[in-house]
Amino acid sequence: MKTMASNSQIISPDPAVFSLKTRNFGSIEVRADQIIYLEPGLLGFSQYHRYVLIEHQRETPFLWLQCLDKADLAFVVIDPRCLLSDYQPGSLDQAIRELEVKNPEDLKILAILTIPPGKPQEMTANLMGPVVINLQTRQGRQLIVEDSHYSHKHRVMPG
Amino acid sequence: MLILTRKCGEGLFIGDDIRITVLEIRGKQIRLGIEAPGSVVVLREEIYRRIQEENLQASGTRDIDVSEVAQLWRQE
Repeated sequence: MKTMASNSQIISPDPAVFSLKTRNFGSIEVRADQIIYLEPGLLGFSQYHRYVLIEHQRETPFLWLQCLDKADLAFVVIDPRCLLSDYQPGSLDQAIRELEVKNPEDLKILAILTIPPGKPQEMTANLMGPVVINLQTRQGRQLIVEDSHYSHKHRVMPG
Repeated sequence: MLILTRKCGEGLFIGDDIRITVLEIRGKQIRLGIEAPGSVVVLREEIYRRIQEENLQASGTRDIDVSEVAQLWRQE
């Protein structure tokens, strides 16, 4: 498994690696410059702030947002524009300002997926509560989109 | 639950940096003004609960199901 972050290709002189035993990936090693800080934390998990993005498998758009403060907490996420190419919630501009995103390519938008156990066809994406991250500062938050176009249970695959 | 009575135009503080003001009372509706730091989440209750519940459900996603989804994705 390869961890992903903005500066993952840069080898830090002081890598400050630490290990975490996760539910899905066994032991992972994380460098300080790969850690994403969600402030405030995800609703319902507001006490946890440190996460890392991990590819699920090569050549698929699925990533794991693995919590570093609680080893068994992880979310499957996807770029919502893989699902809706014109996904552009109105409150995105506010998030860009609050996260002090300077270049559009520094903004990472992730929709959290819910997959009912044993029913992958019924997977839904939460387009009302995307996670937005400034890849330069690695600061992020869960944006709440109050826009009737976007559902918290957007069906991904045809029923 | 702490219960306070306020008139239109009056407010209250929660801690040092959260201020809530009653702006307008119109029939059964009350307009509230909320001033809070950006790190504080302020949401209507029904929206908060919907997202919180969805996050809780999403946190139960199993690796095996994601692998199946990834396989379905590759087939498309």
